[in-house]
Amino acid sequence: MKLLVLTLKRALWFLPTVVGLIIITFIISRIIPADPVALVAGDTATPAQVAALRAKLGLDQPLPMQLLNYFEGLLRGDFGRSLFTTRPIADDLMHRLPATIELTLAAMLFTMVVGIPLGVISAMRRNSLLDHALRVVTVSGLAIASFWLGIMLQLWLAMQWDWLPLAGRIEGFKPTDITGMYTVDSLLTGNWSAFASAAAHLILPALTLAFPALATVVRFTRAGVLDVVQSNFVLYERAMGFPPVLITWKYILRNALISTVTQIGLLFGILLAGTVVIETVFNWPGIGYYAVSSILLSDYNAIMGFTIWSGVIFIIVNLLVDIGHTFIDPRESGA
Amino acid sequence: MRTLWFLLKKLAEDRVALLGFVLILLLVLAAVLAPVLATHPGDVLDLHPEDRLLGPSGTHFLGTDRMGSDIYSRLLFGARITILIAVIAVGASLIIGVPIGLIAGYYHTWFSDLLMRISDIFLAVPQVVLAIAIAQTLGPSLPNVILALSVTYWPWFTRLVYAETRSLQNEIFIESSIALGASPWRVILFHVLPSVSSPIIVRTSIGMGFTILTAATLGFLGLGPPPPTPEWGRMISESREFLPQAWWYAAAPGMAIFVVVMGFNLLGDGLRDILDPRIRRGARDEG
Amino acid sequence: MTRFHTTVRRLGRGTLLVLALGAALALVAGCESKPDKPTKFVFANTSSFDTLDPHQSFDVGRVAPRINLYDGLYRWVDNPPELIPWLAESYTVSPDGLKWTFKLKQGSKFHDGAEITAEDVVYSTERIFGVGKGAAALFSRMLEPGRTKALDKYTVEFTLSKPSAIFLSIIPEIHVVNSALVKQHVKDGDWGAEWLSFNDAGSGSYVLDQFDPAVGWSAKRFDDHFYGWGENSLPEIEFRVVQEINTRVLGMLNGDYHGTDGYLPYDQVKRLQEAENVQVLDEESMRIFMFQLNNQRAPVSDVNVRRAISYAFNYDAFINDILSGSVERNPVPIPNNLWGVPKDVKGYSFDLEKAKAELAKAKVKPDRELTIGVLTGFNQTEQAATLLQDGLRQIGVKSRIESHPWPVMVGKMKEPSTSPDIVIYWISTYYADPNNWIGEMFNSAGWGTFKSSSFYKNPKVDALLDKALQSTDMAVRAKAYEEAARIVVDEAAGVWVYNTKWFGPYANNVQGVRFCPIGNGQEMRWVSFK
Repeated sequence: MKLLVLTLKRALWFLPTVVGLIIITFIISRIIPADPVALVAGDTATPAQVAALRAKLGLDQPLPMQLLNYFEGLLRGDFGRSLFTTRPIADDLMHRLPATIELTLAAMLFTMVVGIPLGVISAMRRNSLLDHALRVVTVSGLAIASFWLGIMLQLWLAMQWDWLPLAGRIEGFKPTDITGMYTVDSLLTGNWSAFASAAAHLILPALTLAFPALATVVRFTRAGVLDVVQSNFVLYERAMGFPPVLITWKYILRNALISTVTQIGLLFGILLAGTVVIETVFNWPGIGYYAVSSILLSDYNAIMGFTIWSGVIFIIVNLLVDIGHTFIDPRESGA
Repeated sequence: MRTLWFLLKKLAEDRVALLGFVLILLLVLAAVLAPVLATHPGDVLDLHPEDRLLGPSGTHFLGTDRMGSDIYSRLLFGARITILIAVIAVGASLIIGVPIGLIAGYYHTWFSDLLMRISDIFLAVPQVVLAIAIAQTLGPSLPNVILALSVTYWPWFTRLVYAETRSLQNEIFIESSIALGASPWRVILFHVLPSVSSPIIVRTSIGMGFTILTAATLGFLGLGPPPPTPEWGRMISESREFLPQAWWYAAAPGMAIFVVVMGFNLLGDGLRDILDPRIRRGARDEG
Repeated sequence: MTRFHTTVRRLGRGTLLVLALGAALALVAGCESKPDKPTKFVFANTSSFDTLDPHQSFDVGRVAPRINLYDGLYRWVDNPPELIPWLAESYTVSPDGLKWTFKLKQGSKFHDGAEITAEDVVYSTERIFGVGKGAAALFSRMLEPGRTKALDKYTVEFTLSKPSAIFLSIIPEIHVVNSALVKQHVKDGDWGAEWLSFNDAGSGSYVLDQFDPAVGWSAKRFDDHFYGWGENSLPEIEFRVVQEINTRVLGMLNGDYHGTDGYLPYDQVKRLQEAENVQVLDEESMRIFMFQLNNQRAPVSDVNVRRAISYAFNYDAFINDILSGSVERNPVPIPNNLWGVPKDVKGYSFDLEKAKAELAKAKVKPDRELTIGVLTGFNQTEQAATLLQDGLRQIGVKSRIESHPWPVMVGKMKEPSTSPDIVIYWISTYYADPNNWIGEMFNSAGWGTFKSSSFYKNPKVDALLDKALQSTDMAVRAKAYEEAARIVVDEAAGVWVYNTKWFGPYANNVQGVRFCPIGNGQEMRWVSFK
């Protein structure tokens, strides 16, 4: 019951938070000194033509009016049009979303598959050479500038040794569009050369993106396992003569997973923020790249669209994580 | 004063934290002594195009950049920029974020909820994106970068202080001082704040590292201080078109960033171990 | 070890092996898709293609769709550029220079099989005005909407509002679109702009196959093209967006790309020259690298300040050290290799003493930071700015560099109040006539376009430029341009640095590239594989 109340309370704040986000982003995007209308009108447009275009786009109205128009549009699911591609923002976002999802999933997969076992091993073999090495890696993971890591990987693995492609999603045109994720689509359609190319292109960006997340996961898994190992290990060792390794693994793994799952919100934040920079470094045509180029081009609507989209997703994820957290760990049902 | 000495002593015992402290010290020394340590102190402004893109050598320890300036010297002067950005941005975030967190945590009114929701709004968007948007809007410059970073980092302090304040409210010593008739301000300043100071210190150290990374990212995207300011992130972005031949051009500034942020992170970890062992599990607000 | 444990380990190894094998197979399969004589020509382009509509873009960076998917009445080919009849077979001009009549070739077809008629030409011309982008401003100086008529099925008549020497030069910019097809897709009176951005309504040598703004576009040979085909041609072409310099270079070295544009730092050009499977063609081109000075804003409005700026830039260091001598110094606002250049004008050189002397004479002193605008992603502009900033610093003038993407910069350059004090960029060849440079840069009627963000106003120069524009006598025109150039250089209305050389990296097995400064070597119909 208390849980329900808590959930409702948080959910109630969802809408005002989103509204507040929209307002703040709106203010920011409108103070931009550059005038994108002028450049959309074209290199050779006269001031009169520019003014006409501004009126057509509804940008000559007072700001509060523009804000209201925007809200009205949102309710219809209309995020407005990009001043540059002249296509609806919603379309632009949807078009680029699969790329970011593919990258984030790949990074998440790598992080979990490699990170959790490493964290467990590190805890089990505490203070060993491996443990110390891993601790160095985890600290580095959060100290390395991700764009620099990407560039270094590009420098060595792509430029110097030519093992992997430098940037982009795929060489050539994409496989038939089913999910929008090239690796998945090419597998589903049996397009092996496309798969090879897509997978090869995915490796460097996913690795770069995963690195800080990996560091975090190893850390938390290690901490979580250490707590368990130290408290219950002796007890279970004596229990009923079961093979200690099996029981320990099962019990420890579960706790390790729990402590990681509760950090999903955090991980998600790291990965989402990471995509912005990494997509730019690797020319990965996803939402992050879109966000950066929209900002640099002062494309008002696109900036708003991206911010609202990411904000909403983030708020939802945090909400779910908070709820999930209270389920898994009732002790910590604090604020 | 005694606690400070105790703290330092404990710090010295933790080798990893000590390493962090040393690294930060090196940063400060590099910044302060830059004119002395630099081999080509004039190269912050001077250009020698005929010497461009030379590899590391006896005269140019870390090579030269695309305009022929000595990278080693520019890195040293860049340390000043780094420290400036980190200290002011985190300091401002502290000044904004801690009081808000205290107030929101202490009082249980709709106002507290409002404050926390406002901080949620700022946290809803990746800090990098918000900082980029602000820096682009105001125009790339050093003050604007600092502003952008302060405006986007304060919620981390607020959330931390809020959570700690809330959990402290059930503590006996708080309840008793309220019962004794102490005014809210007195309670907050003299009882809550000291107890909360440990996580704040930890977060400050980690926040410095994080801020430096974000500042470098802004510089990389061209939104940081414009040339000829020797900002580390911008140097990396300049180097890209000359790779792979001029690898040192990209490697040196990146390593500098890495070493400095590593220092702050290690120190922060060490401080956390000493000051607040109960959050060893790792606070939810890692960042 | 338990049985469970051992099983897991064994399973693990086996699975790993299978996975590795599978991955290896996939990679090998991927690598084997490179046949001996390629059927598709892949070009790596620096700029992205946000629209395929030939009337919405005008810049050289995105010229490929225009010259490959569409045709014009006449066409610029080769270097030095020559105008040849294309869709038209001939033209006549009335004695007063106002009526231009073009006769179309008969039986030329659009991609959908419809015949090209004079009506299509009329519609295309009106559409340029209607859409209002691209070359519209250029045409609107001499032609008005509604003054283009189809006299019969194959004859088009343009009635100019005033005589213009450059009208024929810009005729190729009327890309003829399939009026029937476009009219079917008009939405809200947009002249079909939304639809045509992503579709093909042309008659050009190639037919659009696929397009993705984030990736690029591909096209197949149009066998029924009116010009016909020789024995050797490209069956399929693809223009891929590859913004990263290193990716383009690596791609050329790998054989992934068969051609790329020459927007590379010279170090990378050398790298390609040394590669065995890459040939780097080079030609003298016409593309001036310059600093546009804001003549309307103090202190740059003062002629002495402008001269001081002109003396404060280290041209030699820039051309010889930073660009490794791969370009030619060009001190006047017309490419050296074009007519109309006054041969006696030496221009400015790097001389700090002279710069300081000029500054001393200035009536308006530079007491604030000058803004130097550079283009994001075009590092050469930033390097030039840094060099200029250094020179200015040495004469006591402070400056600040601000970087903007090209579209944003164009927007800023529309008004003297928003345009930076100094803007660094290139002016490419849109048509091969001095008016493309000096004419558009300094005619006060053209304020607000990116070429004329000098905001320069000199009635004497206006008169000379107008005279050159309206006369059809080459000698008269040359003399007028030379005189105008002398004045403009003396008044340091801008700073002109170099004229570029075109470098064209192509795969070794590519032949037939016909470089023209206007098409930038991206006209694919002449090209084939050996």
